[in-house]
Amino acid sequence: MERGAPFSHYQLPKSISELNLDQHSNNPTPMTSSVVVAGAGDKNNGIVVQQQPPCVAREQDQYMPIANVIRIMRKTLPSHAKISDDAKETIQECVSEYISFVTGEANERCQREQRKTITAEDILWAMSKLGFDNYVDPLTVFINRYREIETDRGSALRGEPPSLRQTYGGNGIGFHGPSHGLPPPGPYGYGMLDQSMVMGGGRYYQNGSSGQDESSVGGGSSSSINGMPAFDHYGQYK
Amino acid sequence: MDTNNQQPPPSAAGIPPPPPGTTISAAGGGASYHHLLQQQQQQLQLFWTYQRQEIEQVNDFKNHQLPLARIKKIMKADEDVRMISAEAPILFAKACELFILELTIRSWLHAEENKRRTLQKNDIAAAITRTDIFDFLVDIVPRDEIKDEAAVLGGGMVVAPTASGVPYYYPPMGQPAGPGGMMIGRPAMDPNGVYVQPPSQAWQSVWQTSTGTGDDVSYGSGGSSGQGNLDGQG
Repeated sequence: MERGAPFSHYQLPKSISELNLDQHSNNPTPMTSSVVVAGAGDKNNGIVVQQQPPCVAREQDQYMPIANVIRIMRKTLPSHAKISDDAKETIQECVSEYISFVTGEANERCQREQRKTITAEDILWAMSKLGFDNYVDPLTVFINRYREIETDRGSALRGEPPSLRQTYGGNGIGFHGPSHGLPPPGPYGYGMLDQSMVMGGGRYYQNGSSGQDESSVGGGSSSSINGMPAFDHYGQYK
Repeated sequence: MDTNNQQPPPSAAGIPPPPPGTTISAAGGGASYHHLLQQQQQQLQLFWTYQRQEIEQVNDFKNHQLPLARIKKIMKADEDVRMISAEAPILFAKACELFILELTIRSWLHAEENKRRTLQKNDIAAAITRTDIFDFLVDIVPRDEIKDEAAVLGGGMVVAPTASGVPYYYPPMGQPAGPGGMMIGRPAMDPNGVYVQPPSQAWQSVWQTSTGTGDDVSYGSGGSSGQGNLDGQG
C-alpha cells in the first residue's frame, strides 16, 4: 500500500500509558525507546521525537501493532476461529486508513472554522458525517466518562503518569500480564489460550475475574462458571 | 439504558444487496440470502448494544488497547494536520477498537457462510464490499479478492441449506450447553436457520462471559439457541 503524503515523525515527548507491542520486539517500557531528530521533511520544527522500537522498519510505524489488533479481533471471534496472516495485515491497513479517513474529514472542519487543533468533537462530527453513526453514541459516552475522571483527578494525567499507573495498580498488573505473555497464534491450543487472555484483557474489572479466565480454557462448563463471577462483579459496580 | 430499544442505524439497515457480480440463481436462494442478512443484522445490533453497555463500565482509561503515540503518528501523516488535542488519540483508541471489532464480525460472518474456521483476506474484502461505511477501504483489498468473494458467495448459497454443515461447528466448541442449544434449535428452524446458528451462539457465549449480564436480546429464529445457552449458564 503506497501513501502519497510523506510520513511525519513529529510526536510529543510524553508517551504515557502506552502499550507498545510490536510483531518484531516486545518493548514493555516505551520511555526507554531511542530518540531521533525529526527528518528534513517535517514542516513543524526540529522537536526531538521518540522513535518506536529501533529495529522496526519505518513502514511498520504506519500501522497499529499487529499483536494489539489480533487481541481485539479475538475478542469477537469464537475460540476455534483462526486468522490468516494476510487477514491480520489487511485489518492493520484498514485501521490506519480509518484513522486517516476520519482525521482528514475532522481536519477539514477545523480549517473551515479557522481552528488549529483537532478536538474529540471534531472527530465525532467527522464520524457522523462519514456514516459511522453507530460509533458516535458509545464514543460520546466514553469520552464523557473520561472527562469526568480527568476532572476528578485535577488533570494529573499530564504531570505524573507513573503515579496514575500505580493508582490503577491492580487492574494495570492484571492487564499487562496477558498482553506481554501473548503467544504467537497458530495451533488450536494456542488459539484457545489467546481467547482466554483476550477475554481477560478486554475487561475493566480484572482482579477477580482474570483468574477465572485462565480456567475457562478448559471448556464449556468452565465457561459457564466463568459467566457467574463476572456477573457478580457487574452487580458490585452497579 | 435501552437494552432492547437499540435503534438500527441507517447504514446498517441499508446494507446493500449482493454486488452485481453475484448471481442468485433460484428464488429459494434469494429468500435464504435475505434471511441470512436479517440474521447478520441482528448479530450486529447485539454487538452495538453490548458495546454501549461495556463502555458505560469503563473505569481505566490508561490501559488502551492501542498505543496513543502510534495513533497520533498516523494522524500526523497528513501534513495538513497541525495540532491534535490530548483527547483525540484517546477517543481514536476506542473508535479503532470498535472498528476492528465490527470489521472482524462482518468478515467472520462471511467465513461462516463458506463453512471455514479461518478468517481470510477475501472475507474482509466481502465485508468491505457489503458495507457502505467501509467504501473508503475498497482500495486496500485488490479486485481479485472481491471477485473471489463473489464466486465463493455464489458457492456458499448453494451449500447453505445443507444441514450437515452444523455438526462441523459443534465439536470444537466443547460446551455442554452447546449441544443442548443446538438440538433444541434445530427442529424449530429451516435449514438456513440451522446453518447460521453457530456464530450466534458462539458470540453470545463470549459476550456473556465477559459481561456477566444475562441480558436477553431476543431475535426470531435464533431465540431458542440463545435460550439454550442461557440455560447452560443458569
